[in-house]
Amino acid sequence: MNLLRHPELLERIAASHALGTLRGGARRRFEAMCREQAPVRAAALVWQGRLASMAELQAELTPDPAVWARIHNLVEAERTERAMQAARAPTAGTRKGWWHSLPLWRGAAFAGALATVVAVASGLILREQLGTRMGQELAEQARALGTQITALRTQLQAAPQIQYVAVLADDKAAASILVTVDPKNGRMTLQRVGPYQEAGDKSLQLWALPQQGAPRSLGVLGSEKVLRLTAGEPDVREVPALAISLEPKGGVPSAGGPTGPVLFKGALLQTVL
Amino acid sequence: MALFVHAFPRLHRLDAPAAATPREIPHNARMSTHQPDAELIALLDRVAAGDAAALRRLYELTSAKLYGLAVRVVVNREWAEDVLQEAFLTIWRVAGDYRAALSPPMAWLGLIVRSRGLDFLRRRAAERSHLTQELDETLSDTLAGDMPDPMNTTQASEQAWALHQCLERLENRQREVVSLAYLRDLSHGELASQLKLPLGTVKTWIRRGLEQLRHCMARFA
Repeated sequence: MNLLRHPELLERIAASHALGTLRGGARRRFEAMCREQAPVRAAALVWQGRLASMAELQAELTPDPAVWARIHNLVEAERTERAMQAARAPTAGTRKGWWHSLPLWRGAAFAGALATVVAVASGLILREQLGTRMGQELAEQARALGTQITALRTQLQAAPQIQYVAVLADDKAAASILVTVDPKNGRMTLQRVGPYQEAGDKSLQLWALPQQGAPRSLGVLGSEKVLRLTAGEPDVREVPALAISLEPKGGVPSAGGPTGPVLFKGALLQTVL
Repeated sequence: MALFVHAFPRLHRLDAPAAATPREIPHNARMSTHQPDAELIALLDRVAAGDAAALRRLYELTSAKLYGLAVRVVVNREWAEDVLQEAFLTIWRVAGDYRAALSPPMAWLGLIVRSRGLDFLRRRAAERSHLTQELDETLSDTLAGDMPDPMNTTQASEQAWALHQCLERLENRQREVVSLAYLRDLSHGELASQLKLPLGTVKTWIRRGLEQLRHCMARFA
């Protein structure tokens, strides 16, 4: 039937389609007509728009403040992750091969520099052993060596200096999460090393357990294998231990402390590079 | 995510004469109160650009309304909090799609909450089918007796105001069945079994309700 010749029927069907009570074959036939005939489509869209306003007419209710805290945590985690991805691939959003990996090349450059130093140094020794007296050349080599050492020193300063490490383990002492803190760059890295995987509607939350006072939330873990959080010296100074609790998805506000069971915990140890 | 949101909220303005004597439009009086729409739209634009502070402000302005909606869709308040949370994460990710939707901002936000709520109910039904009995009982409670008008037009767009005017003319129980059919995406059969009403009654109420809505809404078009 051509619905366009029956405007009243068209309206009626469009209304029940938008309401959702038009089902089965009738629904499929109407949707096919929508695709083919613009006026039918228009009627369907008008009714969808009208009924969509039903959502605006419901009574207001104030949600628990914890809901915003969880949304905030998840949004922050996503932002951090996005920022990390942007930092890893500054030019394109596509995933690149290993040869684009910055840490790899940093490592390779470091190894290369070290090899040069060793080569230059052994060259010097060899020359000395041979008893050659080529003063000018020697001075040049020494200058080159000095440059290499300066470059190495710069690289070392740029590389993170890990100062705190914690291995968080479960009650059977099986290591599950490795935490490293680089206070100089304000970075904390969490790495899952155990098989534990929380359910989809839960989140793991990291807490600082200070000697005095209540646990303080340091962040919420996403599902990723490695998580980077912002954490400065004040976050970890005089904190003897860290713990991870199982919380509702998105975590709980710091002020209330953990609400779920503590799954992993471990001492925070200072290390010297 | 396929958000199928199309609406023509301000269509009547297009055919309003540009002359000095504008046509009488019944809901003209509410036009001045639509400042919130502009604020919400500006916030959605900022959220689309990744502004977390704008998301916070959007939450402050709309969470009570949207939470109320989530409770209507999933019934249980704790579930509704999960739905609200998922909805705001969705909004954070897809706010850039808002402009293309051509809807009033609250209607668009409401559709996200409703669709997250329906997803939640489907997931839950799939996970533990034995709980549907419990849900059915809660649902049938919502229709107990002739409830006072639960509708609330705070922050409502012009389009919602029109729908409100028309829904108000329906009998309470008729309005409730029509509302639940839409908000919870229920078929005649599902409504009948959840509300413990004869199928014929549900069908009649819906048909008459939609018929009245159709006549009433035509005047606002």
